Amino acid sequence: MNLDDVTALLSANGAEPRGGGTDLTARQRIGRATGPFIDLGGVRELHGIRWLADGSARIGAMTTVAALATDPTLRAAYPGLTGTAAGLATPQIRAAGTLGGNLLQRNRCWYYRNPLFACFQTGGHGCPARAGAHLYATVIDQGPCVAPHPSSIAMGLLAYGAQVMINGRGGARSMPVADLYGDGSDPTRDHLLAPAEVLTAVELPAPTPGERAAYHRAIARAEAEWPLVEAVARLVLDGGTITTAAVAVGGVARTPLRLPEVEDALVGREATAATLQTAAAAAMKRCAPLPQTGYKVALLRDTVVEVLERAADGRRPD
Amino acid sequence: MDVKVNGSSHMLDDAAKDQPAVGLLRDTLGLTGTKLVCGAGVCGACTVQVDGTPMVSCLLPCAAVAGRAVTTVEGLGGSHPVQRAFAAHDALQCGYCTPGFVVAAAAFVDRWRVEHGENAEPPARAVIADALAGHLCRCGAYGSIYAAVAAACTGAHDEDGQTGPPRVEAMAKITGSARYTTDVRLDGQLDGVIVRSTKAHAVVRAVTVPDAGTTTVDLLPDDRTVRYVGRPIAAVAAPTLAAAREAAAKVVVEYQELPAVLDAAVARRPDGPLVYGSRAARRAAPASAEGLVMPARWHGNVRGPSAMGWRGGTAARRIEQARRRGDERLVSARYTTAVQVHTPLEPHACVARWSGPDLHIWVSSQAVGMVVEAASARWKLPPERVHVVAEHVGGGFGAKVKPTVELVAAVELARAAGAPVRVVLDRAEELTDAGNRPGTEVELNLLADDDGRLAALTMDVYGDGGVSTGSSVAALARLIYGNAPRRLRDFDVVTNLPPGTPFRGPGGPPMAWALEQAIDELAQRLGDDPIALRRRWDGNAKRRALYDWAAALPVWAQRPPPGSQTGRFRRGVGVAAANWLYLVDPGTEVELTVEDGVVVARTGTQDMGTGIRSVISGVVRADLGLPPDRVRVEVGRTGTVHGPASGGSRTTTSVAPAARDAARRLRAALTSGGTGGAGGSIVGLLDGSAADGVRAVGRRPRDRRGYFTPFSMGGVRIGRGFSGAVHVTEVEVDTRLGRIRATRVWGGIAAGHIYSERLARSQCEGSIVQGIGFALYEQRHVDPATGIVLTDNLEDYRIPGIGDTPEIEIHFHRDGWDHVTGGGVGLGEVATLSVAASVGNAVHAATGWRPLDLPIRPDRLLAGLAGVAR
Repeated sequence: MNLDDVTALLSANGAEPRGGGTDLTARQRIGRATGPFIDLGGVRELHGIRWLADGSARIGAMTTVAALATDPTLRAAYPGLTGTAAGLATPQIRAAGTLGGNLLQRNRCWYYRNPLFACFQTGGHGCPARAGAHLYATVIDQGPCVAPHPSSIAMGLLAYGAQVMINGRGGARSMPVADLYGDGSDPTRDHLLAPAEVLTAVELPAPTPGERAAYHRAIARAEAEWPLVEAVARLVLDGGTITTAAVAVGGVARTPLRLPEVEDALVGREATAATLQTAAAAAMKRCAPLPQTGYKVALLRDTVVEVLERAADGRRPD
Repeated sequence: MDVKVNGSSHMLDDAAKDQPAVGLLRDTLGLTGTKLVCGAGVCGACTVQVDGTPMVSCLLPCAAVAGRAVTTVEGLGGSHPVQRAFAAHDALQCGYCTPGFVVAAAAFVDRWRVEHGENAEPPARAVIADALAGHLCRCGAYGSIYAAVAAACTGAHDEDGQTGPPRVEAMAKITGSARYTTDVRLDGQLDGVIVRSTKAHAVVRAVTVPDAGTTTVDLLPDDRTVRYVGRPIAAVAAPTLAAAREAAAKVVVEYQELPAVLDAAVARRPDGPLVYGSRAARRAAPASAEGLVMPARWHGNVRGPSAMGWRGGTAARRIEQARRRGDERLVSARYTTAVQVHTPLEPHACVARWSGPDLHIWVSSQAVGMVVEAASARWKLPPERVHVVAEHVGGGFGAKVKPTVELVAAVELARAAGAPVRVVLDRAEELTDAGNRPGTEVELNLLADDDGRLAALTMDVYGDGGVSTGSSVAALARLIYGNAPRRLRDFDVVTNLPPGTPFRGPGGPPMAWALEQAIDELAQRLGDDPIALRRRWDGNAKRRALYDWAAALPVWAQRPPPGSQTGRFRRGVGVAAANWLYLVDPGTEVELTVEDGVVVARTGTQDMGTGIRSVISGVVRADLGLPPDRVRVEVGRTGTVHGPASGGSRTTTSVAPAARDAARRLRAALTSGGTGGAGGSIVGLLDGSAADGVRAVGRRPRDRRGYFTPFSMGGVRIGRGFSGAVHVTEVEVDTRLGRIRATRVWGGIAAGHIYSERLARSQCEGSIVQGIGFALYEQRHVDPATGIVLTDNLEDYRIPGIGDTPEIEIHFHRDGWDHVTGGGVGLGEVATLSVAASVGNAVHAATGWRPLDLPIRPDRLLAGLAGVAR
């Protein structure tokens, strides 16, 4: 099967494409995915990691999360991304789950995942979480749905300015990863891909020489938990001065977010503790917490501080 | 589509491509070593290797294994070094998670040895934790799993060990051959599914089953009223689980909705809607307590108080006077604990088959004897016509003591269908309506006098057990710290939420959470050492010995002064103590029969991972001088002599002395039979032809000085004396990101003689892991608008994983039980009671902030620290 066959099949019967199947099978169990499913495993174009002459990388959508996390050349070039991949879910899920599947997975809201509820995401009206139990919901208000975006890798890609490659009936196109998610105002979906479209690959621009990166996932237990807040930072330092900064966060909004206000407060300044603190605090202005997510305001700041400090230190991401 | 499983090729129907591989393995191929637990990729019990890489088969569509090689636990064969290591280190208890752990650990160990050499240094704890982060063990065997995996990496288990494993059934669980109720498959067996209420409070007007041929049974109570979402209404059966689910989805329930009350605070208001509108309805309320529920008055949705205490009026007066004079030796606080769910990894499950006048039941139960009683009463059968099997039980923790709905559904569906029926709760049902430890709100006042002695204590406890009653938390404070005046009142606040059921030390952890933190606070105000103060208040000699042990621990002596730390990561050490009743089933018997040269031990008890098989085997072997292969223990089966329910920490102390008595009687029978002299070895006698069929029944001899209660209630008597525990816990608090790590825990247990040291240690370690879950992570969340349980999966209901496990040391104090036959009592409950309180005291020592609400989530910690900083 090639990509065009997949597109034709998806258009013909309204099927859902299946990568590793980890999220899809979980949704199938609770009646949130009913098929038919088209397996992408056999589509050759979706596999492999290629390095282009300009130093950029093209990663096929069917690359497993484990491969992404452990590939030595990717680890050297994009440690903030590979660290993010290594920190999510469990070894078994990383072994089966794919890059494309991670980017296009559905949210983890416990109302969406419970077949007894209807909400915007399932064709219903309203968000039962907003007035209900929402301890793990968003702290940045982008629209009616309050489920944080589940893709850690999307956050990592945002920090690296990646493009996603899309194949559909109209042929191939590419767009910045941020455009895959939009502004979060549409409460009915977790990504903006059209039904018959397939995400085929991700392109990462060449890394900046000398850059350092860090990832952190703030959770209660040691492992295997969805983040309360997560963040990636990339810094380039010239002596003690920050010359380039990229900061992205997850677990706080309907979409993964770049934080230009934090980046602006870093660039051109000495990487002192005070600079990092002040810059991270800029993120708090975006917050409009729900009654039970007030704790995420300070936690967002402090998770950003955490990754900034570690990136400035030059320690490898965990 | 073809797939290679454990070396054999299988052709798969294309229609199977969307089904999870776990179904193919378990149902189609009968490879039941692979367990289905969470269905969400969280717990790893269904882990298999796909081309050598561990993956969760519950989230793996068959399409993803097409053309690949799958290895299940059965495919490892039993001789992988990691399997020997799990057996040798007792890295398992109930065994239900074990196949998944073993399959993943085998891949990890193989890779480690390829990368680091055959006899490499063992990996660090954190490396093992990363590799096994996709697994959960509810029994908490993580400490031994670390040890087993590390040892296997060094090549220490490349050969068979010289001695058998400490747990006699270990290899059956490690190879996947142990058969649990969920693995039972009879010819012609149907699957049953329970239809449950989607309303929090309603009268069911009608239940309509569209397909007339569907086998259906009614599960509603007499008043046809459902009082929580998830309440069973009916059950249907069909040839496959998928068909049964489809039939259940078609059942139409017509409700007449009633006002519901979903919050304990609202329920306490005088004008709130009533959960129980009549005296008859209140009488029929389920009990969350063990044993009898004391009578008490009702005021709206509040039942109680049931008052215990001693000079309660004096206590209340002293506290009131102290409050008026502003006495700083008065500690007053309000503590809360969350609803904790048992969630044993094997769900509640039952297979029932009628055969003429006989009823055969396979059930995941902590009390096969109680299943017989319940079944013979309900279906009007002579007890000897009810045959119950619970060969292996995948955890229970109290949730499987009383017979529950899956039993009723399976038996009645089997009768209606004229075929065997299996009912297995899914994880959402298990986490919603299979019991829980009720939440509590505790109002506590604790007063010391001028000499630092306990002057008065009052505790008002409001139990939040949904529709159930019988909260007994404050009452437990009668049993510790002498005879100073105390007023102890327990209330139930009923709501339209699922009922509680006894959970490992019912009432004990919430009581300790409040009292042991209040004592800590008081010690600080008095400038006293918290261990020294407890030692002074506590007249119990056994606990005093534990206090001496705890005070001498270097971690205690060298602990940072409370509140002295100022950096981001702060270390603190906390202590807490507990005691517990000694329960015994004095009617326990053990039957020994010589069969083919092997002594077969039988009694009507069961092993849910607590290890009674191994205890019986050990006692009989020691008494008769037999090697392991000459004793076989068959439990989890009726049709033999009476054995105890596995609840109330009663099993070992009831069974072991009866086993010893039986062994002595068997020796006498063998040596008097003329097959050999009294001096001959028993092994020699067993090989003689005259030995076969020789049988002896042993009884549990009565304790010296008898028992505290004059007769048995529900097969149990309260014996004399209290078991004791002292926990010393070290935590590290990340004050920036709100994470608390329990780094090291010392558990001192006073339960007398320890029958099986290794297994007792495993149980005490697991108790600590569960206590840490209660302290830091576990909380049932409910939608406030509908009463639907939101934490109905193991992603949102958070239990500790291997990375959350501290380094643990267990100390046994063995004196003080000479009056008990056998010299030892149970420890499964006492070993968990004070863990959460010790974590709370450690967090306070580290940060200066006193946690009052459980669990101590990051958001609560960060809010608390912000308050202290102000």
